[in-house]
Amino acid sequence: MKALCWMGTSKVEVHNVPDPTILNPHDAVIKITRTAICGSDLHLFDGFIPTMEEGDILGHEFMGIVEEVGKDVTNLRQGDRVVVPFTIACGNCEFCKKKTWSACDNSNPNAHLMEAAYGYSGSGLFGYSHMMGGYAGGQAQYVRVPFANVGPLKIESDLSDDKVLFLSDIFPTGYMAAENAQIGENDIVAVWGCGPVGQFAIASAFMLGAARVIAIDRLPERLEMARSIGAITVDYSEEDVSVLTALKDLTAGIGPDSCIDAVGLEAHSTEMQGIYDVVKTALLMETDRPSVLRQAIQAVRKGGTVSIPGVYGGLLDKVPFGAAFGKGITMKMGQTNMHNYMKPLLERIEKRQIDPSYIISHRITLDEAPEMYKVWRDKKQNVTKIVIDPWATNGSSDGTGATFN
Amino acid sequence: MSKALNEKPKAEALPTAASAGVTVNGKYLPPPEDQDGKIWVRTSALIQAQANDLYKMWRDIESAPLWQEQIVQVAKTGQATSHWVMRSGDNDSLDNKTIEWDSEILADEPGRRIAWRSISGESQNAGEVIFEPAPGGRGTMVTVLQEFRLGKLASLWETIVGRNPKQAVIENLRHFKALAETGEIPRVQGQPHGPRGTVAAMKKSVYGENMATPPGLNRQAGTA
Repeated sequence: MKALCWMGTSKVEVHNVPDPTILNPHDAVIKITRTAICGSDLHLFDGFIPTMEEGDILGHEFMGIVEEVGKDVTNLRQGDRVVVPFTIACGNCEFCKKKTWSACDNSNPNAHLMEAAYGYSGSGLFGYSHMMGGYAGGQAQYVRVPFANVGPLKIESDLSDDKVLFLSDIFPTGYMAAENAQIGENDIVAVWGCGPVGQFAIASAFMLGAARVIAIDRLPERLEMARSIGAITVDYSEEDVSVLTALKDLTAGIGPDSCIDAVGLEAHSTEMQGIYDVVKTALLMETDRPSVLRQAIQAVRKGGTVSIPGVYGGLLDKVPFGAAFGKGITMKMGQTNMHNYMKPLLERIEKRQIDPSYIISHRITLDEAPEMYKVWRDKKQNVTKIVIDPWATNGSSDGTGATFN
Repeated sequence: MSKALNEKPKAEALPTAASAGVTVNGKYLPPPEDQDGKIWVRTSALIQAQANDLYKMWRDIESAPLWQEQIVQVAKTGQATSHWVMRSGDNDSLDNKTIEWDSEILADEPGRRIAWRSISGESQNAGEVIFEPAPGGRGTMVTVLQEFRLGKLASLWETIVGRNPKQAVIENLRHFKALAETGEIPRVQGQPHGPRGTVAAMKKSVYGENMATPPGLNRQAGTA
């Protein structure tokens, strides 16, 4: 099959590799019909996540048709149409029983690597470094899905792939970010980053009762998209804009009730401390660039909540912990407990309360993916979300529209 | 115990001491320190299963190759004795060298504790596993203490060429837990990947990915 492989920092290539096979009794093999490139794939592309190795197959947002099941898979059969969550959960350990699926104790075969770095290991993830399990990802034509009784969500309606694909990661991730933000009715919520997760965090904040959502980014097309679903936008790159002042102005001086950092470890900043982070990470004295996190902690109101769906990987400098303590804030974060959200969010899509496909800007073939990783990194071509049809050949996509639209 | 604090509705009764245990009379007991010639490892896991079932699974020593790394075969040789065969190289080594030893069970308390030691052969080891119900029905706490007679230098060498014996004990308990809770041992060996460069091929052993993941209950994987 064709698969997109990580071949080093800023280098991904399509290679022909063997098809995946059933390796464990609860495995399924899925023929992928749609897959996507995630913002967090850029952390891999840019070399920020340790234990990526040459030849690793990328991709953790995908859906498709069940091709084959292992002998102990009871709730899926060949031909079922499924969306697969990016976190792999066994369903039986103490953490799965508590519904903190992304903390699954059993799904990471390389748990010892993560224990060395983080104390304890989280669940395995598809296509996201050896530390996170070393599982082959889904930017490919087929993928092996472990613990298939627990993860995959069957799609039994005729909703198009584009409408349900994002149940694999970013829609639940944005939703959990809003849930973690402990939004009360009529609250004011600030969201940093208007990429896909930020968009779904904004949408979810409204669904959970927010009165006002303030969206912060610098890319006009993303800010426009945020406005299109009802947010007030702040362009931090404009010369006379200070985010902290803007947030005071927009909340009558008290600050947002909740702040959501949908940016994570590769934040860009025009301020002095942003330059400090670039220098320190370049010198390997710091692993992450936490300028959004600093701002969110600074901006949130007294007793408010900071929710962090953006990925952080390592050691952070100059995080204003005194401000966090002084204001008595709550911070909630972590990989998404996918399995809690997929079904209820599918119902929202089925009831037409939201159509997640609004964020798609590009539909491409697998062969175009290496070039599009650069476009995605550089935020060119007004890119907001790239969806891949792994079976389409160049120039003739699958009939869903032009290759680039 | 003093009566200074009487409101602790969910506090466990203080566990009694066992030699692989982690407390003695309410006080934390750190694991034994390595001495030259002797190394120790203590590791524990919370497993969602009954202590008695876990005891039975561990006590069925002839099934150890299902979940213990590198163990090729275990054969009972008497009421309390057995013969063990272990592969000494990793997945990538071309020869199939093995080491063999005999082992005897020293203590056998059904549902609670097993202790063993090697009695002859090419490995000198001793160990104990205890199974204790966790407070509040949260599962069973399984604690393993194992000792190897092995110089620090030899242990370092093992680490370089294969799996450090301490890590092997930790991984084996992890495999045991996964098998007990899910009926399989998670694995990525055998899945597809793109071309590996020299560095990636080298780092396989750093990641422990050159150690064959034990088969679990699925020697012949595939559709039924």
